[in-house]
Amino acid sequence: MNARLARRLAALYPRAWRARYAEEFEAFLGAHPPGFRAVFNVVGWAMYERVSSPGEFNMDQRQRSLVLMAYAYLAAVAAGVNFYWTVADTPLATAMHGHSALFASWTLVRAGSFLALAAVAAAGLPVLAAMVRSVVATRRWDVAGRLAVPACAALVTLLWMAAAGMWAGGHWIPTPWDVTGDWTAPAGWPPLTTRWMLSSVTFALLAAGLIASAISVAQAIRRSDLSKHRRLWFAAPSLALAGSVAVMALGVLAWGWFAEQYAASDFHARNGGLFSSTNFAS
Amino acid sequence: MVYYVTRSNRHAADDEADLGRYSDPPLLVLASLADGPKHGHKMIEDIARMSGSRLGPGTLYGAIARLEREKLIEPLPAEERRYPYRLTAKGLRVLRAKLATLRRFARAGLRKLEAR
Repeated sequence: MNARLARRLAALYPRAWRARYAEEFEAFLGAHPPGFRAVFNVVGWAMYERVSSPGEFNMDQRQRSLVLMAYAYLAAVAAGVNFYWTVADTPLATAMHGHSALFASWTLVRAGSFLALAAVAAAGLPVLAAMVRSVVATRRWDVAGRLAVPACAALVTLLWMAAAGMWAGGHWIPTPWDVTGDWTAPAGWPPLTTRWMLSSVTFALLAAGLIASAISVAQAIRRSDLSKHRRLWFAAPSLALAGSVAVMALGVLAWGWFAEQYAASDFHARNGGLFSSTNFAS
Repeated sequence: MVYYVTRSNRHAADDEADLGRYSDPPLLVLASLADGPKHGHKMIEDIARMSGSRLGPGTLYGAIARLEREKLIEPLPAEERRYPYRLTAKGLRVLRAKLATLRRFARAGLRKLEAR
């Protein structure tokens, strides 16, 4: 195997692994017979090391809890957006005003989401402050960069929506749910094809932003030495978050049940493709 | 027809040969180091002779990294761009224990086969 390929393959491994093994691994690969099997074997193991690598610090119980909380909250945000998209601008929104049980279960989901937000703020803000202090003190700008990803992802998505909305005439914002449905689009809106295309980009940005945020927040927590911040307290908020996610799940189940009972035809309507099909979103 | 029969027979033979292989890279590396320090390529050859499994470069270094992290092996000074490893005292104990378990397991399995 030539030295250049060996160097490139070794570069696939995580930094901590490279710091210890890169030199000897490159020498080893240099003397190894070349071949696809060897290359695939190294690529596969490099990916495995990247996924399983503990980073520069082994995560303690607290860091693992924080990562789980971040994942749970981001999943709740994704699920909430999906749920809103199921109902917004559909006859189900009208049906909710006529049926108190349907409205109550919707309110339960909203209450759960506010509780989840409060729990994440209670646990996350002190940790974020501690991480920022640690970043400044140790000049770990890679951690700062990872912490900035969620805000940057949100900013990029909002800027895209604003720019696309202005480009489309200023009467319509490309959200994934305002594309088509059982209604006639207002006069100022762009044609349906344009709405589909622009909203698809927004949807892709939202999904990519959520995934990138989940990965970067987990990496930032993993790379931060929080062991000195013994006073960080988040047992109660993490329980509150778990409870609120359970409340939201219960609310969604109840809402689906009541929607089936009171507004079955609206609930099962396929009224205009991917972005307005409540069936698909459900 | 002959081709397919020959081919399927060959595959069956390969499958049986695969079944006879032992594949637990960390244990294979430990066993390879049992008779003295070795560098990567020597380990691969030794393991292929012992077990019939030829470890890929990523697999070998995955096992080496794990064993070193668990302090079961340790590096020796490099010799002309070769990086030998040897068992630690803990590695020797772990290897003995694992091989003894395997021996008990193999004996029990073979006894059952003989009793058929």
